[in-house]
Amino acid sequence: MATSIESLPPPGLDPEGLDGLLQAFPQGRLSEIVGPRSSGGSSLLLALLARAARNGVTALVDASDTLDPAVAARAGLDLRGLLWVRCGGRLPVAWRATDLLLRCPGFAAIALDVGESASAPPGMGVRLQRAVANGESMLVVRGPRHLLGSAAALVVSVRRVRARWIGAPRPLRLGGLVSEARVVRSRSDPGLTRPGRAWLLEWRT
Amino acid sequence: MIRIACLHVPDADATVQSALLDIALRHSPSVEDVAPGIVFLDLRGLGKLWGGEEELARRLLQAVAERGWTARVGIAGSRAGARFAARAGEGVTIVPPGRDAGRLGVAPLALLDLGPEMAARLARWGIRTLGELADLPARGLAQRLGDEGPRLQRLARGEDPTPLRLWTPPPVFEESAECAWGIEALEPLGDLMAGLAEALCARLRRDELTADAFAWTCRLADRTVHEGFCAPAAPLADPAAAAAMLRASLAARPPRAAVEGITLRAHPLRAPKTQPRFDEPPGPSPRLLTAALARLSGLVGTSGIGAPELLDSHRPDAMQMTPFVLFPSLQRGERASNFQNQIPLPHRGRGPQFELSRDSGEASAEIDQRAVLAVRRIRPPRHVQVRLESGAPIHLRATGLAGRIVTGAGPWRVSGAWWTDDAFVQDEWDVELDDGMLCRLARDARGWRLEAIYD
Repeated sequence: MATSIESLPPPGLDPEGLDGLLQAFPQGRLSEIVGPRSSGGSSLLLALLARAARNGVTALVDASDTLDPAVAARAGLDLRGLLWVRCGGRLPVAWRATDLLLRCPGFAAIALDVGESASAPPGMGVRLQRAVANGESMLVVRGPRHLLGSAAALVVSVRRVRARWIGAPRPLRLGGLVSEARVVRSRSDPGLTRPGRAWLLEWRT
Repeated sequence: MIRIACLHVPDADATVQSALLDIALRHSPSVEDVAPGIVFLDLRGLGKLWGGEEELARRLLQAVAERGWTARVGIAGSRAGARFAARAGEGVTIVPPGRDAGRLGVAPLALLDLGPEMAARLARWGIRTLGELADLPARGLAQRLGDEGPRLQRLARGEDPTPLRLWTPPPVFEESAECAWGIEALEPLGDLMAGLAEALCARLRRDELTADAFAWTCRLADRTVHEGFCAPAAPLADPAAAAAMLRASLAARPPRAAVEGITLRAHPLRAPKTQPRFDEPPGPSPRLLTAALARLSGLVGTSGIGAPELLDSHRPDAMQMTPFVLFPSLQRGERASNFQNQIPLPHRGRGPQFELSRDSGEASAEIDQRAVLAVRRIRPPRHVQVRLESGAPIHLRATGLAGRIVTGAGPWRVSGAWWTDDAFVQDEWDVELDDGMLCRLARDARGWRLEAIYD
């Protein structure tokens, strides 16, 4: 059956929005959110944790100790149900802490924010993938670039489109950030990776 | 023949009550905890042991006086009689056997602890004293008040056959060990602690209890004391999990000298056996989570793990870490800190009265999930060099970071706590660098700092 052109979304805009993208993150698999600073990657991670927190407790292993709890609470994350592991800039400790947390089943989501560092111990991706496999937990690694090779079942790349300033002609305050997310790899739904499919995400301050 | 003593300390609080119960239990095996400042003792069969009622009353007064309080003692054949005698007289008042009704005649009705409805009803009838209640015709009273009427009338006449509701001291969950030669290394100390934890957990399980906090006291070779405290994420009675947590806590804060003696205490908690509901999200196993948290605290330190809590302040990054608990509605932290500060007494409190409820009554509120721009805090804020033009920043330089500022908004003044020694004031700017980075700058008397990066 033919679909009228008018009913199709405009190019670059996914009708499901942020929820559609968040649903793509699989449970029992390792996922990655990659993108440089100010690309919206951390905002996507917070939104993902807030969504997962509906299904249970969540954990964030914070390699560089950068979480802002006030913003996390505004994003809908119940801080009482968030286990925050602050590694104080020690990336190897963060990897070990994530590995350790994965041995404790029952978390709805475990996130690792590696900060601006861009390295992973050899074989760590496979180790984490095996630890999370077939469980109910979702493991998400946020980093500036793709770190874990083929072990990641889903890789979402985020890039900055533009900042949104409020006030003209002189900006009075920062209103938000528009970023674009693309699925670079999806083992469960390869259709997500088709060229041209992207999510335009608007994050508000 | 029933003989009841009432030990009464006016205006007593919970601390006094605990001591009163302790004193009463040392004089009679049957003790009832009535209200703050009021304790009943059953005196049957104790006459020969203490040399008579008067001597027993004198010893009770003396024991209370040694704690620094003034008490009154009333002895009668019923609870109401003893209570009235203790309230009415100074020191010791003894009502001879069989004289309760006569003495109680002028006592107020409030002595019977009536409910508000019954008290109002009797007040409408003009009944104000126990004597007036005792003189009412029994048949008419039964017709109007049912069984309660004759029961109250019997109490008003000093006829009180119901036995005391016995108070039993709470069990103290405490284990100790002595080390004659002193232990310096952490590993054998951890083994010793694990042995104590195993014994404590066995006792807890025997009483169908769990523990939501552990505290230990080490007597050190240098004549000082090392104290520690740890709380699991969820109440537990599993010796392996408790041992892992205690070992990690010891490793995080080891004693500074050889340990000659150690005492481990557990704070008991009665957890109801409820089957998890289908509609509640599954969570980590308390045993596995406690073990994982213990190992994590060994990795990042106890201060680096927990749940964040926002502070009621406008100060930038005002938050603190709190212990992570699986059941936040329990507010275990407050209780645990009380446990940490308390000195264990043999007869403190009323036993493990805390109930852990999985059903907190909180509706699972729909989370308002919005697309909020995340802020990555720089801790501590990084010093940066900023070039200004017409008062506005135009260039930024710091370690590993430099760029031209293409857009900016500010300054926004953030200040507070000016009435304290810890006042804060700073001007904040949101800026966008030419490479697209969005960040928040702050300027105060110490210069410019990079506070956060928007991401």
